[in-house]
Amino acid sequence: MITPNITRRHFFQDCGIGVGKVALASLLAQQTARAAGASEKIASSGTLFAPHHEPKAKAVIHLFMAGAPSQLELFDYKPMLAKYEGKPLPASVIGGQRYAFIRSDAAVLGPRFAFGKHGQCGAELSEMLPHLATVVDEIAIVKSCRTTQFNHAPAQIFMNTGFSQPGRPSMGSWITYGLGSEARDLPAFVVMSTGSGISGGAACWSSGFLPSLYSGTRFRNTGDPILNVSTPQGVDPRTQRDTIGLINAMNQRRLQLEGDSEIATRIANYEMAYRLQSSAPELMDLSQESPATLELYGCDPATPSFARACLLARRMVERGVRFINIYNEGWDAHSDVAGNVKKNTALTDRATAALIRDLKQRGMLENTLVVWGGEFGRTPMVEASVSLGRSQGRDHHPQAFTMWMAGGGIRGGTTYGATDEMGFNVVEDEVHVADLQATILHCLGIDHEQLTFRSAGLDFKLTGVEPCKVIKALLA
Amino acid sequence: MPPARFFLLSAFVVTLLNSVSALALPTHSVAVDFNREVRPILAQYCFKCHGMDDHSRKGELRLDLRDKALGNGKSGETAIVPGHPELSEVLKRILSQDKEEMMPPHSTKSLLPETAKATLKSWIAQGANYQLHWAYVPAIRRTPPSGESHPIDAFVRERLKKEALSPSPEADKLTLVRRVYLDLIGLPPTPKEADNFLANTAPDAYETLVDSLLASKHYGERWARRWLDLARYADTNGYEKDRPRTIWPYRDWVVEALNADLPFDQFSIKQLAGDLLPNPSPSDLIATGFHRNSMLNEEGGIDPLEYRFYAMTDRVRVTGTTWMGLTLHCAQCHTHKYDPILHTDYYSLMALLNNATEPTYAISSPEMVSREKAHAEKIAKLEAELPSHYPGGNEAMAARFSEWIGVESAKASHWSVLQPEGIQTNLPHVEAQTDGFLLGSGDITKSDTYTLRFRAAQKNVTAIRIEVASHPSLPNDGPGLTYYEGPLGGFFLSELQAFQNEQRIVFSRASASNDEEDDRINDAALKPNAKPSEKKAQAPSKKKNNASAAIDGEMSSGWQVLGGSSVYHTAVFQFEHPLDLSSGLELKMLFEKHFACSLGHFRVSFTTGEIPTATGHSAELEELLASGTSQPNNSKLLLRFLATVQEMKDAAAPLLAALKNPPRGQPTLIFQERPASNPRTTRLYHRGEYLQPRDEVPPAVPAFLPQLPKDASSSRLAFASWLFSPENPLTARVTVNRQWQAFFGRGLVSSLEDFGYQSDPPTHPELLDWLATELVREGWSMKKLHRLIVTSATYKQGSKITAEHLQKDPNNLLLARGARFRLDAEVIRDSALRAAGLLSAKMGGPGVYPPQPVSVTTEGTYGKVDWKTSTGEDRYRRSLYTFVKRTAPFAMATTFDAPTGEACLAKRDVSNSPLQALTLLNDAMFLEAAEALAKRIIGEAQSDEERLQALFRHCVTRPASPDEMTLLRAFLEKQRAQKLEGEVLWIAVARAALNLDEIITHP
Repeated sequence: MITPNITRRHFFQDCGIGVGKVALASLLAQQTARAAGASEKIASSGTLFAPHHEPKAKAVIHLFMAGAPSQLELFDYKPMLAKYEGKPLPASVIGGQRYAFIRSDAAVLGPRFAFGKHGQCGAELSEMLPHLATVVDEIAIVKSCRTTQFNHAPAQIFMNTGFSQPGRPSMGSWITYGLGSEARDLPAFVVMSTGSGISGGAACWSSGFLPSLYSGTRFRNTGDPILNVSTPQGVDPRTQRDTIGLINAMNQRRLQLEGDSEIATRIANYEMAYRLQSSAPELMDLSQESPATLELYGCDPATPSFARACLLARRMVERGVRFINIYNEGWDAHSDVAGNVKKNTALTDRATAALIRDLKQRGMLENTLVVWGGEFGRTPMVEASVSLGRSQGRDHHPQAFTMWMAGGGIRGGTTYGATDEMGFNVVEDEVHVADLQATILHCLGIDHEQLTFRSAGLDFKLTGVEPCKVIKALLA
Repeated sequence: MPPARFFLLSAFVVTLLNSVSALALPTHSVAVDFNREVRPILAQYCFKCHGMDDHSRKGELRLDLRDKALGNGKSGETAIVPGHPELSEVLKRILSQDKEEMMPPHSTKSLLPETAKATLKSWIAQGANYQLHWAYVPAIRRTPPSGESHPIDAFVRERLKKEALSPSPEADKLTLVRRVYLDLIGLPPTPKEADNFLANTAPDAYETLVDSLLASKHYGERWARRWLDLARYADTNGYEKDRPRTIWPYRDWVVEALNADLPFDQFSIKQLAGDLLPNPSPSDLIATGFHRNSMLNEEGGIDPLEYRFYAMTDRVRVTGTTWMGLTLHCAQCHTHKYDPILHTDYYSLMALLNNATEPTYAISSPEMVSREKAHAEKIAKLEAELPSHYPGGNEAMAARFSEWIGVESAKASHWSVLQPEGIQTNLPHVEAQTDGFLLGSGDITKSDTYTLRFRAAQKNVTAIRIEVASHPSLPNDGPGLTYYEGPLGGFFLSELQAFQNEQRIVFSRASASNDEEDDRINDAALKPNAKPSEKKAQAPSKKKNNASAAIDGEMSSGWQVLGGSSVYHTAVFQFEHPLDLSSGLELKMLFEKHFACSLGHFRVSFTTGEIPTATGHSAELEELLASGTSQPNNSKLLLRFLATVQEMKDAAAPLLAALKNPPRGQPTLIFQERPASNPRTTRLYHRGEYLQPRDEVPPAVPAFLPQLPKDASSSRLAFASWLFSPENPLTARVTVNRQWQAFFGRGLVSSLEDFGYQSDPPTHPELLDWLATELVREGWSMKKLHRLIVTSATYKQGSKITAEHLQKDPNNLLLARGARFRLDAEVIRDSALRAAGLLSAKMGGPGVYPPQPVSVTTEGTYGKVDWKTSTGEDRYRRSLYTFVKRTAPFAMATTFDAPTGEACLAKRDVSNSPLQALTLLNDAMFLEAAEALAKRIIGEAQSDEERLQALFRHCVTRPASPDEMTLLRAFLEKQRAQKLEGEVLWIAVARAALNLDEIITHP
């Protein structure tokens, strides 16, 4: 068990006398610690001295399809829905499920697209995913995902933190808390948004009750990618360097007088800030990428997009970033689900497949875990409303949805779990959100039961108190 | 014996037993400490089945009470025999390898560590003594140890002596003045203020300074910010939409209350239950905003009652953290794992807080009275003038009026009001008023049904009419009950059905007085930041939401009226065949949408008229028109004519606008007890899940604590008063501890939010208790407590960390030195603005929008805020007044660990990160401060030497030392060599000064 409220001060003392576990990780911790002359062994790790077991993945790229894509138009082909289109589902199937917009007696809506089998594994994919189809043997599709939340903000927060209300640490925070950072000059946990905005807001990448340095750092589309990473206009770069030199010299003097190791940490952080000022632009500079690579992703280097975010994510992983969230918002198909899926797959399918292919060809896929999915699924029933002007849409559906994973530790070419013939309920191998989280941690060498933090007298963990399991069938 | 008795039995024994061996320093003893070593083991491995929870107890054995643990369980064996581990069944079981016998049971896979077994064995061998938990028994006031004039020093130094540490010398005067300014008013002193203190050689110069700071209006601003962390204050609702809310009057109330040194008991009671005080003043009502700071989910399609439940769990948690130091929230799903808080205790406490409605209060004030008077005069004037605007003059008007009367009379019908003989709803409370109107209140859902039964001795009834009208008790004045997501105060009647003798009656036709109104302000159109084109595209075409849509059998369409003042509309529903109402009539009104949209104020009438239609005339005028007795000189009728006819559209607009926009007091969110006719029941929720409500629970405080007085009503007010009753062991301790932390960076109990079994034991238990009793003795005065702390030698010590400190007390638990820690985000920003001479002294009012990078609010979050960067003074207000957007908080504040307002926070994290360096170095606002600071020192002094010293004093109060001057001069020279000169040169130096560790650190 880890003592809460670890401060840097704590760290310095402890390594001075060579005592026990120290939680110091995430954001640039390695460099800070080095600068202060800490031992390499402690500095390069997070809370965990060693992983609980052999890790397969070193980094995670979570492609978060916010708004919730329709599994019925992408992965979970249900011809029976076409057959019964226009008729309601029996009340016995619906149970007591509450819906956001539709009435529970709404009629079913058949799949809007054709499906076909792909790859050696023969996985069934919608015609809207032609690019993913070319790498389908690398991915493990989970058709039996289930969540407890049926509204966007709580469901997104739940997927990220294991709890539906804000206030708990996100997966990226837990992981960097556990494993620390390998990034030399970049944050350990990065968040990118490529759409209209994330319903759950900052709670989705919050460090919750973990120390705040484990929070995700937003990479932004306009202005500085990391807030204030540019030297202000009109300030000469030499002056910037000299200014930091002066600050650190003054602080060094203060350190001698006060003896407070926080000052040493601050000095290290100014050095780090200075390095970030060049490492961030270097990261963003896609001119180093070949035309072939840009073409593969379909990426215009000048324009923020999902494709560019995927390419940046690969570059971040190369530079040691531990956890990357890319949000693609816009899948909330309350009306015209066909048009929604068409539009969003056009934005994401090529780049998603490119990311898998690119990681693979660079030998990075085996230790990079890629996770794809939304916060819940969409109803087999149609959403239509006169007063809202909606038709041919699908409402939120927490009972069954599809996600997939690829890379570090995952057995590609797998299809796992199944739903009933209407796609309403999971009938085989249910995978709850906590199971997904446990599996992701497992790939990183973390036992989800053992990565805990004491807050307000209780030992918390990402996966919560309900029993959950690592999905072994997905593992390589 | 109930646990309550157990914990209160021997208050006297407790401090002796608990002589706090607990301080985390190596004071090892062979004696096993029950609180620290044994209870955690029992709590983690045994209490689940052998604790206080009657429901889950196994083998009729409980180990949380000594007399029970010393008795026999179901097996007949004696669980614990003090002094005899070998005879104790408990030990036998935990040592057993037999899968049938071992404890914890083999099936639980919970393995008791060997060290824990050894501890339990030693404990039993030593007599199996239990201890009461220090925090659950009343504080005991010990006379401070002798030898020190200040009680705080007496306690602290006694302990230091024991540990062979000596206190640090007093900090130098410049450090001291800086420290006490930052602590008491959250701002550094100006050089002049510091010099004034230095110049005052009176023996009580420091006390004089302290008193002047306590009297400063900035004191309240500084301490309000700390309170607002607990109150989870924010200016938006949270969750996906995260729309703005108006509750800043509550924030200002906190500032004013703190400045007035409102005693902490009253300060608290007003916030928890100000509405229940006798004759509550407007300010008492504003104070109840405390618990309105919970979030409100406006995402389309949520279940509003589910999120109300979450708001209640938030309120319980906040109450537990803020006043009780209890992790009550751990008992939401099951009986607390460690502390003696039962699952039912949690919901009983919720019940104490759960009987409130959540209105928006228009603050009444003397000014409002005069504004209302002026408004009435304005309307009277506009009405009186209206005829003079008629095009063509009086004659034309008279002719047209007479014609209008003819037309309207032909459309009008006689209507008789129906009084319901029965009202049933699924949940909302609908009550008949004397005027025949029905008034709705209470909780509403996304699908509400009102069933109204009428009877009248009348044949040939051709239609019914529903009048809807604004009412001050409703959100946005009604007439609907919609309070989130949809148009506030509106309603949406999805379907209206009529029955007679259980037979469905068919409506043939419907009309409403707003059928022609543009109803596109709905749903999709409300999507924040939707482009105009998008709004248009998303909006349903006109007239979808009309009266006919309420009888079309289609649930997603209906009759809608938007909310506001002076709204009055009618809808008329005509029967296919005339009815005899002596057989009764049942109306079912269904209100269904993706947000709760029920009707709040309405009246039903019938007619036998032949062509009933919705005119929108008031009942009185309609009757006049229908009776044919209307006279051309009836002024009300004339007014109605003038206000509605096409040719008067422009002329009547000012009057109509005035009617729609009566003066309203400044709105703010408050708590208001529900009427006795409609109390809310509270249930226990199985596993804490909203979908699993179980038995109703009575309002009560946790059973293990002293109970509410027998004669007290079980209300919020009784609960709030109970927190401050002399028997309550927690409130005063929790409160003084939090204050202590503000000055020393660490509480005497370091877990500010948790005083339970799992909490960190106090470093100075006697001092904590002494301060707690002193706070009460001094009438809960915060200012007196703060004065007491800052006048102690312990507070005034220098903060230099020596080798001895590092070795003996690295974390400064024993207080042999002053506290050095990074300042709060707000203090850092305010300090920079003050050094630059930019800081505005303006207090209160709506949140302001200081500059920050654009992408913070334009990207990444769904519910966008239009961050219109403030200009002028508002750009430089104290950070307390920065608009708090929950899902995209002010970036600089987040970087320096300020909370988002999404949850209650007792203690902020104090991080030290490269992002903080980037903010101070490069953020536009800090650059702006550097520019102003540069100008300031250029204006104040001529030579480099003087300017550098001025800069230093503005930033860190003290002058620069010679070696610092050397560094600064070298920087200057180098920049000059790089062709920097004039203002640019000094901006560069000022930037560096604003980045010093010292400027962001509590000295």
